[in-house]
Amino acid sequence: MQCAESLAVQAAFDGELDAVSAAAVERHAERCPECRALREHLERTREQLRRDLPYDRASPELRARIARTLDAAEAAERRAARPRPAWRSPPFWLGTVTGAGAALAASLAAVLLAPLLLTAVPDELIAAHMRSLMPGQLTQVISTDRHTVKPWFAGRADVSPVVADFTAQGYRLVGGRADRLDRQRSAVLVYEHGAHTINVFAFMPGHEALPAAVSRRGFHIACWKSRDLGYCAVSDAGWQELSALRTLLQDSSERDTP
Amino acid sequence: MDDKRTRFEALVLPHLDAAHRLARWLNRSPGDADDIVQEACMRAYRAFDTLRGPDARPWLLAIVRNCSLSALAERRRRAHEPLTGEHEALAQQAGAEPPPDPESASIERDEQRLLARLVAALPEEQREVLLLREMEDMSYREIAEIAQVPIGTVMSRLARARAALKALRPQLEGEPHAMR
Repeated sequence: MQCAESLAVQAAFDGELDAVSAAAVERHAERCPECRALREHLERTREQLRRDLPYDRASPELRARIARTLDAAEAAERRAARPRPAWRSPPFWLGTVTGAGAALAASLAAVLLAPLLLTAVPDELIAAHMRSLMPGQLTQVISTDRHTVKPWFAGRADVSPVVADFTAQGYRLVGGRADRLDRQRSAVLVYEHGAHTINVFAFMPGHEALPAAVSRRGFHIACWKSRDLGYCAVSDAGWQELSALRTLLQDSSERDTP
Repeated sequence: MDDKRTRFEALVLPHLDAAHRLARWLNRSPGDADDIVQEACMRAYRAFDTLRGPDARPWLLAIVRNCSLSALAERRRRAHEPLTGEHEALAQQAGAEPPPDPESASIERDEQRLLARLVAALPEEQREVLLLREMEDMSYREIAEIAQVPIGTVMSRLARARAALKALRPQLEGEPHAMR
């Protein structure tokens, strides 16, 4: 009752066939109403599933639980090995300290340098990003128009960042908000990129150097400086996506006359 | 002392949503899914050295699937649950009460709820293959690796899952609020 070609039609639909085989299936389907109906069903089913099946995401609570699990697993592994500075990219000169005192020096350095190197800013950023994902917390001004968002920051945030919409490049500006960060009122630009939300925090940079790229708890943070302002983009989007947005913002910051 | 944690976070954690979604659909409740994903992440971290190549997603999903199966087997053993009736139970559960987490609670339209119920009612081995293909966009080869079956089996399960949804489509589209 079922056409013998039905699995081939399915494989072609799933992109599993080479061009020659796919063309053969195509020719068959032109003559076979059953296979044409099958293909239509496959398309409708896919469309419906992708549109209507709930897109469950890992909750911030789950991400936090996993971070704790990894902390424990990491600590267990470290117990067997020598201690190391808590900061994962130690300053270059740490590598030059070798020999018997290395472990001591390294842990001492970690303690002494902690306020400088282990700035709490990445953790604050993650916390602020998670907070923003709770219902109703993402935006305080909702607009894709830079001429609406930029003036909104005046008086509400301590800085006036570059504001631009990059819908054409896949980064839609959905709005902004003011958020406390590093004892300042930072200006936050909110972008949508596919299913991902990207928060871009703008603030007066402190004395401590921010890492250019950090991953924590499954979130990526990209930081850069532009026209005396510090920017940090936070998201669960991939590195490439974050870097592309950074480049776009840097370019428009260069063009923007102060 | 390399940066194992950093590499793990960069390679594996971006696939946490996919892991959670798979666990969610292979299990009954979001709470179970969270437990399974947490367990899977711990196993993944311990076995991180076995990851080959830059794409951690199929690898992580295979671990999630194994954790799900062990959890399911464990629960059945403990509760002496009959194997039959499982799908009816799943279907009723998916339809009767919306899961408590905010994301899923937004299933408002009957159409969406019914679709979720139909997918939940599929036999497990068909459901996982369908979800890996349609929601995670995995290739037959990747699905075969995750489900540990030959590619031919992936194809026939996929065809059966899709046919089952087709058989139920009149129900889906006959709903009074399903008009688009």
